[in-house]
Amino acid sequence: MQKKNIAIPAELYAQIEERIKGTEFTSVEEYIVFVLEEILKEEDESEDILTPEEEEQVKERLKGLGYL
Amino acid sequence: MLIIGIDGATWKIIDPNLQRLPTFRRLKEEAICSTITLHQKPWSPSVWCSMFSGKTPEEHGHKDFVENGRIVRREDIHVDFIWDLLHKQGISVKVLNIPFVIPPYCFNVRFEAVAHGLPIEESELLEEIQRVTEKALEILENDKPEVFIVVYTALDRLSHLHWGEPILVDYYEKIDTALGKLIPYDDEIIIISDHGFCAYDEAPIRTLPKKTPKGEIKGDHHPDAILITKNINYVINQPEDVFYCLKEKYLVPSNK
Repeated sequence: MQKKNIAIPAELYAQIEERIKGTEFTSVEEYIVFVLEEILKEEDESEDILTPEEEEQVKERLKGLGYL
Repeated sequence: MLIIGIDGATWKIIDPNLQRLPTFRRLKEEAICSTITLHQKPWSPSVWCSMFSGKTPEEHGHKDFVENGRIVRREDIHVDFIWDLLHKQGISVKVLNIPFVIPPYCFNVRFEAVAHGLPIEESELLEEIQRVTEKALEILENDKPEVFIVVYTALDRLSHLHWGEPILVDYYEKIDTALGKLIPYDDEIIIISDHGFCAYDEAPIRTLPKKTPKGEIKGDHHPDAILITKNINYVINQPEDVFYCLKEKYLVPSNK
């Protein structure tokens, strides 16, 4: 995968270095990529979640079209 | 590559109305137009899923929008879609409004589908075509992804309840106009439907009930889907071949 460089404060970098000691993360970069992917995934998933009321509306529409 | 899905589009409506459909008319002259006769049941959730996972319904296991009373979500389908694989390889890909789940699925795109992807009323159908087109143009104009996949659902929803009525051709015209706006953005184009349509009593495979709370079902899904390709050097015989077409172009290492 293509990669791009970004700058983060040295103090934050040091904090992450401390945090990943003894964990499965082998580098600061790996940790940052993991955290950002998790955040973006949560945002994407939250958009797709329907409320119970919306789920009922969807089921009514599916019934109306004959899909359910 | 630009892939435009049109849920439920059929040559049965396009061919006799080409005079009203200038984009389709032009594509008939400039592109390769054919019919895909589905081997699998003409059923949107499983066909769209096959098209972008490369797997048959038996392999991907996604049969319906709702299973055991619960709306199925992307996370319930244990496959890698082509956009997952392309993204992992660093190939820019965006996906808008793919109706294998409700609401339709997007990848690397923020979009709120009209009526959760199930537009029924005329105002909703119009809004879907308008908003999907606007979002698609925004992506093509600003983001310029290497691969962009977009699907319109309106014709399918309309064909269920209004097959055989003049209003259906009016909406094919609106889709034709939308296509005319999108296709100038790419030289490599696939336009495809997940299944065709026909009069309810003529369906070779009955997929829908005769009556619903919204009224009588007038059209049913037909196994003959449309396929239009432009500058695509891959033979597409079934929906799964779209996945393999993209895989071959972007993911299989060249031996040259």
